[in-house]
Amino acid sequence: MRSLLFLAATIASGFSQTQSDYYLREPIPLPPGEIMEISSIALMPDEKVAVATRRGDVWICSGAYGDDLSKVTWKKFAHGLHEPLGMFEKNGSLYMTQRPEFSRIQDTDKDGTADVFETINSDWGINGDYHEYAFGTSPDKNGDLWIALCLTGSFHAHSDWRGWALRITPDGKMIPTCSGLRSPGGIGFNAEGDVFYTDNQGVWNGSSSLKWLKPGSFQGNPTGNKFHKLANLPAPPEPENKSRVLAEHLKHPTYIPPAVVFPHGKVGQSPTGIEPDLSKGKFGPWINQVYVGEQTHSQVQRVYLEQVNGIYQGAVFHLLDGFEAGLIPIKLDQEKGILFAGGSNRGWASRGNKPFNFERVKWTGKTPFEILTMQATPDGFNLTFTEPVDESSASNPASYSMEAWTYILQKDYGSPEVDKATPVIKSATVSADKKSVRLSIEGLVRGHVHHLKSNGVKSKAGQSLWHKEAFYTLNEIPAK
Amino acid sequence: MRSAFSSLTLFACLAAIPLSAQDGEQLYTLYCSACHGADGKGATGGAFPPLAGSPWIHGNPKRAAAIVLHGLNGPIDVNGKSYNLEMPPQGAVLSDDQIMTILNFVNTSWGNKGEKVQRDLIRVTRSEYQSRTGPWTAPELLKLYPLPVQETALSDLTSKVYKGQWNQVPDFDKIQAENIEEEHHGLLKVSISGMKDHFGIVWEGKFNAPEEAEYTFVIDADDGARLTINGQALALVKNTGPMNGSRAATGKIKLTKGAHPLRVDYFQANGNMGISLRWQKAGDKDWNWLSDKSSAAKDGAPSIPLIPVDGKTVIYRNFIEGTTPRGIGFGFPGGLNLVYSADHLAPELVWTGDFMDAGRHWTNRGQGNQPPSGSEVIKLTNTRFLPAEARFKGYSLDSRGNPTFKVSIGKATLTDSWKTGNDGSLVRTLTLDGGAPINVPHGNTEVTGSESTTLTPGKAATVTYKLK
Repeated sequence: MRSLLFLAATIASGFSQTQSDYYLREPIPLPPGEIMEISSIALMPDEKVAVATRRGDVWICSGAYGDDLSKVTWKKFAHGLHEPLGMFEKNGSLYMTQRPEFSRIQDTDKDGTADVFETINSDWGINGDYHEYAFGTSPDKNGDLWIALCLTGSFHAHSDWRGWALRITPDGKMIPTCSGLRSPGGIGFNAEGDVFYTDNQGVWNGSSSLKWLKPGSFQGNPTGNKFHKLANLPAPPEPENKSRVLAEHLKHPTYIPPAVVFPHGKVGQSPTGIEPDLSKGKFGPWINQVYVGEQTHSQVQRVYLEQVNGIYQGAVFHLLDGFEAGLIPIKLDQEKGILFAGGSNRGWASRGNKPFNFERVKWTGKTPFEILTMQATPDGFNLTFTEPVDESSASNPASYSMEAWTYILQKDYGSPEVDKATPVIKSATVSADKKSVRLSIEGLVRGHVHHLKSNGVKSKAGQSLWHKEAFYTLNEIPAK
Repeated sequence: MRSAFSSLTLFACLAAIPLSAQDGEQLYTLYCSACHGADGKGATGGAFPPLAGSPWIHGNPKRAAAIVLHGLNGPIDVNGKSYNLEMPPQGAVLSDDQIMTILNFVNTSWGNKGEKVQRDLIRVTRSEYQSRTGPWTAPELLKLYPLPVQETALSDLTSKVYKGQWNQVPDFDKIQAENIEEEHHGLLKVSISGMKDHFGIVWEGKFNAPEEAEYTFVIDADDGARLTINGQALALVKNTGPMNGSRAATGKIKLTKGAHPLRVDYFQANGNMGISLRWQKAGDKDWNWLSDKSSAAKDGAPSIPLIPVDGKTVIYRNFIEGTTPRGIGFGFPGGLNLVYSADHLAPELVWTGDFMDAGRHWTNRGQGNQPPSGSEVIKLTNTRFLPAEARFKGYSLDSRGNPTFKVSIGKATLTDSWKTGNDGSLVRTLTLDGGAPINVPHGNTEVTGSESTTLTPGKAATVTYKLK
């Protein structure tokens, strides 16, 4: 009787999984009356958190880690900055990427407010167009900072190095590094420390995606190509209009295809901040995966990345939903496993209908039944799961379905899903430990997004997947 | 075999659903609702243009099709509220069928009663504007497909145009008008004068109050205007200045149901021009417009004046008109203001009075340059005078927020400190710690008394900018 009840409870929960079972999302109280359109988050010593706003203020929050968030206090640290999008703390200074420059900000007289605003580099162009944003990282493994520069409006590159990613060395030198960017929404690292940025759907961008900024690479949008002449760099490729990413990548090896496409509307509409999970399991089982913020849909997605034939690719899964505004920066405290997220919906609407937000997310310790990783194999995909699977459902090919498509690479805005294919799942083989399933698939299409639905798969405990969909971008099919 | 077959069938079913079978609400939710709102009222409490009750869905349906195909950029007025955003084009993403389905959903939802759109109309519109590369602007579309005329509460409206030069609203009854016209649209439009500078208009008509109540009127103008109802001067926009909401005047009056004489006296000095007049009945939420909405669009951004607090400078780093994109503004307590250009490595603008209005940049997407709030802005230099190797190194603030800018010139450092003097002046102190002497141009001899300062290493130089 008891076990029957237990079973009934499990089945019931299988039908009513909610985010709060697994993740606790809590708004952090903001200073009353202030417009806190958060554009950057930096973790500070002593459990303090610094945030910058689109209006150019920097505030320092105490108590954001505490159990009682009503005890949070705020101190204004600086004002008059130019829309900082990327900020980190190092040796007592705040470093930030502002629209016009990369800067270091210090409180030298220790009165709690900044008094030195040092310009480290300002060698790129701006002309006053709102779209000319600059997104910056923390230092990479060599100590360099990376900056992604948005184009001028949607169609132009009127200022130097628009549409490029730059590096700033510790001694303040600028190194133009990658071309072909359109409209970055964030820039950051994966667990290995390689640099990625999110690019938004638009001209020469059929759908939004997470792209790998391999040094020397071209990212697909030729609008800013002309600037290579300023630094005697090789000319970036000129992709053919109305082509496909794969075709142009094969013609131009420096054109690195998007690592993971976020199909427009299906996985958000405006991806933003990028944060790897180096917490070793403190934020759930997604060790070494990457989180990506989403402005329009007010979400956080989860990305599994792998390298095949020297190119990054992988799958995106939905993870967190229901943030109060459109997310811009996300920041994971890797020691404590707390994700901080903030944003704004000024100028671009979001599902979260507050004008701005600052929130934290903690893992409850309960693991959802999910696809943990999705790896490409020569004849399909290997799925690993967070919990042992129920063998009869997981080995039934009818528990899965797949569609595949790509986008037109074109100078028009966006693209429909084209070249649709329906790969057929021939078999699903469950591993001995019941934690993985090997899908053998007929009709994989190189270069396509492969949309896997695992609606029929159950865990050993009878639970359905919390998120049944995965979107894998198959840039390369491994030979073995 | 059996399981492979069943999954095949599943695929066949999925693939067989044509896109056109998607219903309008689904498509709207996916492609439109993030900005226009699931309820059609404009997402985030109306920060985006509503489609519910929008006049833009009426008239020629090619207008809406054209917008969906190519997008829309820049200021647009919807029901008297102005928006300045960029709608991305959807023509490359959505098929003719999908656009038709979405438009028909919008035209029949939330009380909208728009015309039914046929597939051919989308096809024709697509081919008609095939060669178009950029998004539309609202004025472009209104020229091609004007909005249907809506009746206002003003009837029997006439306009009289006057020539003359004024800096406040004159007594037009003592001046001979150039002409008089009937204005059947019931809207105040300054464009009817056909003039750019030095003219006036008097509009007279009947305001038809829908019921007995207290009514609020808001009038704004570039340059001045007075509103009179029932012979009572109700609101006055004084002197000359921009129409950005900061000078708008409000008046309240109790009216009985029916027609009441309404008069607006308006004058334009030079530069930008515009009139805006709106009203609401006590208890109403929405405003009703009696003015040309394209000119009303100018008061879109709210005013967010920046003022020094606690006796410290206020800093504004954004796109400031009259200087370069890397301008850094400092508003000193006492009403003295400075913009330093980090591109030209020099002070470029000084003025007295109000500092900056951040409304343009701190609302919507923040497009464009914002002029300083002071009326007499003094332009100093506007070119770079230091050698190409010179680099901006930032600024520091003293305890009152007074800035010291730093510039590296090779191995030498130039410091450029600013604070207020006792006599309505800004005092600038320059030092150079090495290298060759530099000639620092002042740019405006009237406020500094001299052309330039020669700065020698190790010896501070002081320049006083007398502004008051």
